[in-house]
Amino acid sequence: MNAPTASTSDDDPWRVGDITLRSRFLLGTAGYASPQLLFDAIVASQTQVATVGLKRTLAAAGDNGFVAMIRQALRETGARLLPNTAGCRTAREAVQLAQMARELYGTPWIKLEVVGDEHTLQPDPFELLAAATQLVRDGFTVFPYCTDDLVLCRRLLDAGCPLLMPWGAPIGSGQGLLNPFALRTLRERLPDATLIIDAGIGAPSHAAQALEMGFDAVLLNSAVAQAREPVAMARAFRQAIEAGRDAWRAGVMAAQDFAVASTPVGGEPVLLGGAA
Amino acid sequence: MKARQTVTLQLDGRPHELPSGTTLTELVASLGHAPNAVSTAINGVFVACGQRNDCVLQPGDAVLLFQPIVGG
Repeated sequence: MNAPTASTSDDDPWRVGDITLRSRFLLGTAGYASPQLLFDAIVASQTQVATVGLKRTLAAAGDNGFVAMIRQALRETGARLLPNTAGCRTAREAVQLAQMARELYGTPWIKLEVVGDEHTLQPDPFELLAAATQLVRDGFTVFPYCTDDLVLCRRLLDAGCPLLMPWGAPIGSGQGLLNPFALRTLRERLPDATLIIDAGIGAPSHAAQALEMGFDAVLLNSAVAQAREPVAMARAFRQAIEAGRDAWRAGVMAAQDFAVASTPVGGEPVLLGGAA
Repeated sequence: MKARQTVTLQLDGRPHELPSGTTLTELVASLGHAPNAVSTAINGVFVACGQRNDCVLQPGDAVLLFQPIVGG
């Protein structure tokens, strides 16, 4: 966590290992109506990290050109792929799928998802930590999708994860930051960790809130893909994320319980003070 | 003439019959996939592309093939 200072967004990079990034907007690629719409949303978002997945070959026929379009967009924009382990329920599964993702996509980056509850898609903290520990040993750069539990987050950092991706709300719910207290605690107790809010963001204001709180970036998918106009929404999120980051660096004022007069009129009523 | 022996394995959860002695490389090719277009696992364990030729499929093996897709 950088101390807030005056800023411009262009001179405010962040890092994942040796990689320097400027965009604080990580974008998912699922759920778009067409490959072209996905391409245009990637370009409008100015993202530098786009998430992708893996599926069993017989589970569905083809992908209608979406992956090819993602690769094209990334070639043109210079963005990077971040494969995920969506669908995994155990550490063993996640480790194996991560190995496949590294082979297929040619990157050691892995968004580690190990789900422990089908209803909420809440990460399983025990399996997640076990998988992260193994994958770090195997040379992966692990982006763990985790809950906002402080102790778990510490353990993941201790295991060698270069960053954390706590949820804002359940995946795809669009509910925003459901537990600001826990997220604020994470930010305060892990001041040097790179923290990315992943999942649950539904509106640009949610993303701005995360950045205003000092989170380093956000990762979202459905909020853009399910918008009536995904390209416009990608642009709106980009602007909100930049605004939120600038606000964090500029220093958001402390909230007060009661009114604090802003106009310096002094302690006397303007019209009646001193009247005969 | 002696009939060529076959083995039956589970390919993505479905029974799949192929000649005895078939390697994973040959299975991938027979399914029409370019070697680098899919990733493979046998009995839940990842098998790297470069190791497929050493992997002779056995009766009852559970073979999974994965390919890239969109994701969040």
